Amino acid sequence: MDKLGKRLRDDAASIEAEISAGLDRRIQASLQNVAPERARPASRRSRPYSFWWASSLTGIAAAIAVIAVINLERPEPTPIAGNTVQLFVIPAINLKVEAAMLTSPLQQELEALQSDLRKVQRAVREDVDLSF
Amino acid sequence: MTDDLELIEAAQDGSVDAFSELVHGYRDGLFRFLLTRCASHADAEDALQDTFINAYRYIRTYDSRWRFSTWLYRIAIRNAARLKPPQVQELGELGDDEGDPLSHCIADSERQNLWRSARRLLTDEVFTAMWLRYVEDMSVNDISAVLKRSISWTKVNLMRGRRVLGVELNKEATVARSEAYG
Repeated sequence: MDKLGKRLRDDAASIEAEISAGLDRRIQASLQNVAPERARPASRRSRPYSFWWASSLTGIAAAIAVIAVINLERPEPTPIAGNTVQLFVIPAINLKVEAAMLTSPLQQELEALQSDLRKVQRAVREDVDLSF
Repeated sequence: MTDDLELIEAAQDGSVDAFSELVHGYRDGLFRFLLTRCASHADAEDALQDTFINAYRYIRTYDSRWRFSTWLYRIAIRNAARLKPPQVQELGELGDDEGDPLSHCIADSERQNLWRSARRLLTDEVFTAMWLRYVEDMSVNDISAVLKRSISWTKVNLMRGRRVLGVELNKEATVARSEAYG
């Protein structure tokens, strides 16, 4: 044992700790009035892994069975009359787009553009009429 | 140990005599320890009495895988903590000798008892760990079981306790040397 350990042991031994006769009698008298209590039942042992696997699988199987029964007993959904949605197919319109070139004074260009716009509107109207 | 087991079995069957014989070998050491932990001599006596009463009452719960002293110390520490008033929870604050039971129990000596320094410098748990290691010769495993701490915690705090008390021991040696040389 090292120096510190020896010193600690010696110093502990130098602490006077004599149990007096009075204390001894007191302890003995107290012990006479006490009886050992029954040991508590050991805590339930944890179950084996196979138990937890089996119970998990049983739970899953039960859930699947309940879902299947509920779905099999449910009647087929019937379509509600008069509530059908008709879909119209709109053909794609092939528009020709050209960039305007400003070669005249602004007023003339505006008139020319308006004329072009009217022609295009007529052409579109004709195309729409032809489609339907 | 075998004798202890026989006495324990007899005590479990309700024999007070067997129990008294069983704890006879432990009571001085236990009382010495309680004197270092309690606020007064009377408290240490009460703690010792309560420890034996509780140990006897719950002797049937004793697990023979543990050393009997380990189990007994656990009960003693709990009782000492229960009797300790809140104002002396921190041993470091215990400055005066009036309330210190150790001051009446330590034989007059030229040198300071290191356990008094330990009371002043160490926390309760580290103090207990040091006591169990160096006075009761308990293993680190047993100390960690008594204190309900991990083995690594016990090792680290035993080392800390050693370091603190080692410094104290060196200080004392330095003072003694300087006094010797005038």
